[in-house]
Amino acid sequence: MKWLQRHIRPEQVRELSLLLLIVAAVLIFGSMIDGYYTSRTFNRITSSVAIITVVAVGQTLVVLTRNIDLAVGSIVGCTAYFTGAQLAAHHGMPPVVAVLIAMALGCVMGAINGALVAYGRVPSIIVTLGSLAIFRGILIDYSGARTVTTDSLPKWLLELPRLNFVTIGDLDIRAMFALAVGIVLLFQIGTSFLNVARQFYAMGSNPDAAELIGMPARRIVFSAFVLSGTLSGLAGFMFLARFGSITVEAARGMELQVVAAVVVGGVNIFGGSGTVFGAMLGAIMIGTLEQSLFRLQISEFWRDAILGLLILLAVASDAVILNRLRAIWARTDLKLVARDSASPAEAKR
Amino acid sequence: MSWTAAQQRPGGAATAPPILEMRGIAKRFGATQALDDVSLTLRAGEIHALLGENGAGKSTLIKIMTGVYQPDRGEILLSGQPIAIGSAAEAQRHGIAAIYQEPLLFPDLNVAENIFVSHQNRGVVTNWRKMFREAEAILATLGVTLDVRSPARGLTLAAQQSVEIAKAISLNVRVLIMDEPTASLSAHEVGQLFRLVRDLRDQGVAILFVSHRMEEVFQIADSVTVFRDGRLISTRPAAEVSPQSAIADMVGREMGLFQRRAPAPKGEKLLSVQGLGRTGVFSDVSFDLHRGEVLGFAGLIGAGRTDIGLALFGIEPATAGQIVLNGKTETIRSPRQAMSLGVAYVSEDRRQLGLSLPMSISANISLPVLSRYLTRLGLIRTSQERDTAEGFRKRLSIRTPNVELPVAKLSGGNQQKVMLSKWLNTHPALLILDEPTRGIDVGAKAEVHAMIGELAAEGIGIILISSDLPEVLAMSDRVLVMREGRQMAILDGGAATSQTVMTAAMGQEFAA
Repeated sequence: MKWLQRHIRPEQVRELSLLLLIVAAVLIFGSMIDGYYTSRTFNRITSSVAIITVVAVGQTLVVLTRNIDLAVGSIVGCTAYFTGAQLAAHHGMPPVVAVLIAMALGCVMGAINGALVAYGRVPSIIVTLGSLAIFRGILIDYSGARTVTTDSLPKWLLELPRLNFVTIGDLDIRAMFALAVGIVLLFQIGTSFLNVARQFYAMGSNPDAAELIGMPARRIVFSAFVLSGTLSGLAGFMFLARFGSITVEAARGMELQVVAAVVVGGVNIFGGSGTVFGAMLGAIMIGTLEQSLFRLQISEFWRDAILGLLILLAVASDAVILNRLRAIWARTDLKLVARDSASPAEAKR
Repeated sequence: MSWTAAQQRPGGAATAPPILEMRGIAKRFGATQALDDVSLTLRAGEIHALLGENGAGKSTLIKIMTGVYQPDRGEILLSGQPIAIGSAAEAQRHGIAAIYQEPLLFPDLNVAENIFVSHQNRGVVTNWRKMFREAEAILATLGVTLDVRSPARGLTLAAQQSVEIAKAISLNVRVLIMDEPTASLSAHEVGQLFRLVRDLRDQGVAILFVSHRMEEVFQIADSVTVFRDGRLISTRPAAEVSPQSAIADMVGREMGLFQRRAPAPKGEKLLSVQGLGRTGVFSDVSFDLHRGEVLGFAGLIGAGRTDIGLALFGIEPATAGQIVLNGKTETIRSPRQAMSLGVAYVSEDRRQLGLSLPMSISANISLPVLSRYLTRLGLIRTSQERDTAEGFRKRLSIRTPNVELPVAKLSGGNQQKVMLSKWLNTHPALLILDEPTRGIDVGAKAEVHAMIGELAAEGIGIILISSDLPEVLAMSDRVLVMREGRQMAILDGGAATSQTVMTAAMGQEFAA
């Protein structure tokens, strides 16, 4: 126990217990659903998790700075539709260009949110609630309520979701899931080792102090929204590839899943603490629940309700359990220090 | 003791070169001259104490030194070179750091990160190992054992102070400002802090030490400067200053700014408080209050005066002691209950706790007793509301074209009168006034004072909490002095002078 406490922080306990919860959920659903342990289930879950994870990484950065980005669902929908429309019109467009278009559009949308929050000093919940509706409105107007259909898209795009990155035994790791994991790794390393990224934590942890020591507070918040928008743009491309047929309703309500993933993953909704890795675990938890409840033929409405319940539980446990854990850790820290300082005296005897 | 120590150090404080010189600094906020032609020199290896009452200009000076405020006039010289301190970051680049009563740490970042957080040129990538090692090294020179890997959340205040000092050292601090650093520390922790401060001094750091605790000031300071009303009154070596002379400088001798109120005839006993306390805030407060009496609450900011008011009004109920109101023992748990018992509390915070700014004057005045203004159907009788408001407008001479005006449009003094009206409209037996004249002009102040006299004459018992010492002395029949959550004395009108009250508020003995 002592050894554990020296090497694991309370925040990491949270991530570990989430991992255990995911395993438990898989075991429970496995006993309830026939043919659950198949590569098909795995593929279903990982494909939906991949998209949510990419958006959740951006959302994590925003939440760390004590803000929230509710417009991500609309950004995913807009970029998916716009990129799809471009690909349908220009079949010869190289894949890289298509990805860049999606990300650039997301970047612009994120920059609008970021500018209003950071420089306009409008609370992020208001800004992004507004842009959630406005972006969706623009999409409906732009599309003229038409649909991007699967048969209008180039073949390489439709084959992308089934593209394997690597196959381990029976399990295929799809390229899209690998991409999501890669992004998580990239940002996990970045937020732990880049000084610029550590400022996100400082900002959310104590905004007044950050400003007082001359941190570029506005630029930090702005870049969080830009990154969130850009990653949502990438997710929009992935959404397009996965579903092929894109309506104006695409990715509507995704912000609920994303915020749930981030909060369940242990990112403090009041900013300052949490990790990108945790957000991915949150996304996996939610993806597993979603797909499994779907297999159990539980209605979509109940699935949303369960998501809402998860958010409430996660925030509540943040307040109660994490504080308890910290108290336990603080107590042993004191004991350890006391013992360390007492030991020279014992040695003399 | 500190005198001999200062003398024995090579190149004692008086001869050491000046590091930071402030010359003719002036700063004005609206009608208040916060600083008026202040010149202060901080020398290498010197602990310079800064004393003064609330509002004497200490905080303003600190904020100018740390780049939060810009002075209206005057210049600042660092090692003889004139500098401008445009921002907090710039102050840090000049080697000027400040430590406040409440440390400004990032609770979610670990200790090492907190120490190095304001280093601008740390490179792109965090070298955690190197940072942990260096943080441990700095803390070791301070003789402090802390886990540099654990988050700053949950550190004791003393440990947080150590982190702040380590942060200052890591920035090669030349001028260290400490604003009430000991206010929340235990005696043992204060001892540790002082050891660190003396070490820094011996390394040639200039230290400006602001504290309300006299004994600490004389324990550690090499020289003492006293501020009063935004002016520098005296700067002397600590050995030439006694607590009494410092207090005399702080309060000055100019009294009679306000006319002393003619005491009203004392009525029957209204309130009796025995051993009142709230865990961790204040304790063991006992006093009586009669009808028609004004009891002043004096003390420094944070001494617990307001907390007693909040307890009596049930906003933050007391956890110990007894309140006897009109001869009955009452446990006051909520403002609603307090109001039904005839208690009214006029908050010091007009904007947040007092008034609804967008609402009209008349609506604000009727708000606490709205049920009186309802028709049988539960609708508000606005004509009756207006009549009440008009009455108060005449009685307190609230200057406004009409009573339908939103309160936000009024001046501070008139807002204060609306707030007073609002609570007088509850027909209180006990009126608690918390800083009733803060931030209002002299004319309005005199009117509020006259009003207090009238209300006392009507038989209302009044508790007057004020940081304006002349005001407390002029208005009160008796003065209760608080210091750090404890009741120091109750002084009768005759015995209460600025000298005796300040002496008690600073925790000094009377006889000395």
